[in-house]
Amino acid sequence: MRGEVVVIGGGTAGMEAAGQLAKTGFKVTLLEKEEVAGGHLNNWYHLFPDRRNGDEVIKYLNEHIDNDNITIFKGNKIDSYRRVNEKFIIKTNTGIEITADAIIVATGFDLFKSERKEEYGYGIYDDVITSADLEMKFRSGDLKMNNGEIPGRIGFVHCVGSRDEKVGNFYCSKLCCVTAVKQAIEIRERLPDSKVFCFYMDMRMGGALYEELYMEAQEKYGVNFIRGKVSEVGESFTNTLIVKVEDTLAGRPLKIELDMLVLMAGMEISEGSIDAGEVMGLETGVNRFFKSRDNHYGSNISNIDGVFYAGTCTAPMNITETISHARAAVSDVMNYLNNLDN
Amino acid sequence: MDGLYDILLNDIRFEEGLKACMNCGVCTAICPAAEFYDYDPRKIVDTVQKKDDEEIIALLKSETIWYCGECMSCKTRCPRGNTPGFIIMALRTLSQKLGYFTESEKGRQQLAIKRTVGENIFKYGYCAATYAVNPKMHPEQGPIWEYILENSDDVFERLGGQINGIGTGPLRKIPQEALDELKKIFEVTGGTEFFDLIEKHSKIKASEMGLQFNDEGTDNDYFVEVYTANNGHHNINDPKMTEDES
Amino acid sequence: MNHEGKKRIWSDYQKEIADDHFFYVRSCIRQSFFPGSEQFFLNFMRNILGKDVYENPAHTTCTGIGYHSDIVPSATIMTVIARHFALMKESGYKNIAISCVTSFGLYTEILETWKHFPEELEKTREYLYKATGREFDIPENVAHTSDIIYKFRDEIADKAKILLVNKKTGEPLKIVEHIGCHYAKMFPKSGVGGAEFPNVLSGMAEAWGGIVVDYPERRHCCGFGFRQYLVQANRGYSVSNTAKKFLSMEPYKPDMVLTNCPGCTMFMDKWQYTIHEMEGKSFGENGESIPVLTYEELAGLVLGYNPWDLGLQYHMVQSEPLLKKLGIAFEKSDKYKTKDGRQMSIPKNLINA
Repeated sequence: MRGEVVVIGGGTAGMEAAGQLAKTGFKVTLLEKEEVAGGHLNNWYHLFPDRRNGDEVIKYLNEHIDNDNITIFKGNKIDSYRRVNEKFIIKTNTGIEITADAIIVATGFDLFKSERKEEYGYGIYDDVITSADLEMKFRSGDLKMNNGEIPGRIGFVHCVGSRDEKVGNFYCSKLCCVTAVKQAIEIRERLPDSKVFCFYMDMRMGGALYEELYMEAQEKYGVNFIRGKVSEVGESFTNTLIVKVEDTLAGRPLKIELDMLVLMAGMEISEGSIDAGEVMGLETGVNRFFKSRDNHYGSNISNIDGVFYAGTCTAPMNITETISHARAAVSDVMNYLNNLDN
Repeated sequence: MDGLYDILLNDIRFEEGLKACMNCGVCTAICPAAEFYDYDPRKIVDTVQKKDDEEIIALLKSETIWYCGECMSCKTRCPRGNTPGFIIMALRTLSQKLGYFTESEKGRQQLAIKRTVGENIFKYGYCAATYAVNPKMHPEQGPIWEYILENSDDVFERLGGQINGIGTGPLRKIPQEALDELKKIFEVTGGTEFFDLIEKHSKIKASEMGLQFNDEGTDNDYFVEVYTANNGHHNINDPKMTEDES
Repeated sequence: MNHEGKKRIWSDYQKEIADDHFFYVRSCIRQSFFPGSEQFFLNFMRNILGKDVYENPAHTTCTGIGYHSDIVPSATIMTVIARHFALMKESGYKNIAISCVTSFGLYTEILETWKHFPEELEKTREYLYKATGREFDIPENVAHTSDIIYKFRDEIADKAKILLVNKKTGEPLKIVEHIGCHYAKMFPKSGVGGAEFPNVLSGMAEAWGGIVVDYPERRHCCGFGFRQYLVQANRGYSVSNTAKKFLSMEPYKPDMVLTNCPGCTMFMDKWQYTIHEMEGKSFGENGESIPVLTYEELAGLVLGYNPWDLGLQYHMVQSEPLLKKLGIAFEKSDKYKTKDGRQMSIPKNLINA
């Protein structure tokens, strides 16, 4: 079986899908809108659950797409799309025209813009940062506050932009709890004198080795877990952060003073996905992620025959799941092209 | 009796105010009442959503539902779109309809509000007006308040109005036809009936408590009792009453 | 703190505010405690801006205080408010200008309720017709009077006789702005700047040369609490919440507090007196208390009005320290004089006096 496949999106899912397709013998064109492939993985430091170096996964993916069957166009996104019989004709924003027999959409997610949660003061109070900002701080090794001092008391706010009617995202982003636990441990390792608090509604540790990481955070690293969603953040006269939350297990409102606050920003469908979706006519579901043909056995299949999904443009998922999802997309592509041949 | 939860659902504030609570606590975190009273809006919502009549009746008879200040800070934050403040309002209305409000010290105060704000609405067409704010009942208004009352015509004239003036202006005399329309609105919508219920249940309670009760006005024993009584146990940090004290 | 972050949020909540032909409804508390403020608003809009602001003498209380102390049922307040809409229709007005913040919150809440529950709107139409024979339309624009002053803040700045600058230090005046809870907490889109960083008062303060003080309890309720104040036994709640706010703002040494809600102005003023009586504590500098002004009073000062024509002398906390900072000339002898110049008695035991 031969064929040409376009993969839109050069993050984890796109690179994995492209690599698998190329190994199987398909010709692949990989479109990536940034100048560098790898997506969000480029900004992560160590990955849960085993805290291995994210660069190792990037290395694996880069080697995977180092294949003569793959042509990558960086700085390119889909601009127009039409179907002629069973062929797809795509044009990119720089004018490149590509013909394909099938398409995999792997346009990924964006993090929730934490400024929208106004009461948390992101972009207003100096030492309120997001989990993504903290990963960059881990990469650079500089964990200092805005005023150059080392933070003594650090808090993690779970569910920022998720499970929240007020910002229009009813769903759970799945990965933020384990990310918070991981980052809490990493802070405790680097700042042994620090006190770390996680403010959670639920501890969603639904992945292999996640619960164990949570236990380790408590037992080995002394991370404090307070069951309550942070209601409001303010800045004191001495520039510390004043956090208001209810300790629901104690049944009392709590006002706690911290040096730094990390917002666990949730996952939303990316703007790139929305753009591509509009160009191609892809359906989205109630939570604005792309809608799969079937929730159980068709999660890679879109509303358009021959167009398939891989990765977080369909739902929040971790890297392991993303890579599996991408491989499943390749399997669906092969079935589709096989049926066309017959 | 019809399930209390179903009766509550007839109140649109309840229908609007309760979807389902996941006990996150953002409401309690910024609730002014939760800081000073033994009060937790999250717990109240969680109790009500259980739909257990016994627990709801207990709430309707309790001090707890009277602690809320209806600031609605809870509405701004709830991630499930609930409004504990609206639920409280529905509970307070039901408590008064069923006569349970007289079981609690705070609930009994409803008579005081009806006799002041409520009567003002009918008499003057205002909820509050200078001539209706008695400095003896409001020492916190300070010496300037008595002064303003003693000199109100001059004060108002300088500031551009005339108390009880005809036509427009601050504290103008509201025309009788308007007051009549207001009264009719109360009759037609059940407002008058509600006021009467507050009176009826309060009268019964006054008799039970052995307190003198007039059918109107603020200078009777029951009124003074409900207006001023505070047993000092509304804050979680207050020591419990001993056997001797109770 | 990054001010640009707040500016971005304000721009997300741009509210439609009508610019003329208002039907004005008064506030029970402001009529009693701050009549000068309401009169300034009317005077400014009509005589300085040449706007049409109509006050129908047949309008009454909206009964909001009764509703929020749970003696007035929902159906009743909806019908009372519908009656005001009927008066608007009768007088040919489509824009309403509301003086009280609780009232504004109620008008907004009821209009939203009628959208979600059209059967309630129908019921209200029936009740109003049955009680009064009146019919009503939904207004096109609902604004709080502070929204309107906000809208015309630049016009006020253009005509300013003084700016909000501390004449002694040359620094902008440090202003604590306090927004009534019912202004935007229920429906953030109905407030200029939303619920978290409302801009209606900070916009005014900054347009007139001052700066706004952000402090941890900025959004906290003043503690009116309706029944928590109306009944004497409950007033501990009310004073405690105000004390909390003042304790929080104290280190920032604000020069004044600016509010847009009748209850808030009254409480932030009066409770400073009460706390001083109870505990000997003042929150201002040098043992003084912090003057609390309505936005109309502040606008009036900026436009060069005589402070005693605005009614500042009838607060508990006297404003002289503020007037001196602003370099506003005032006549001490004129303070307690009648309109036609007769001397009244001088009240004793005021704060900052």
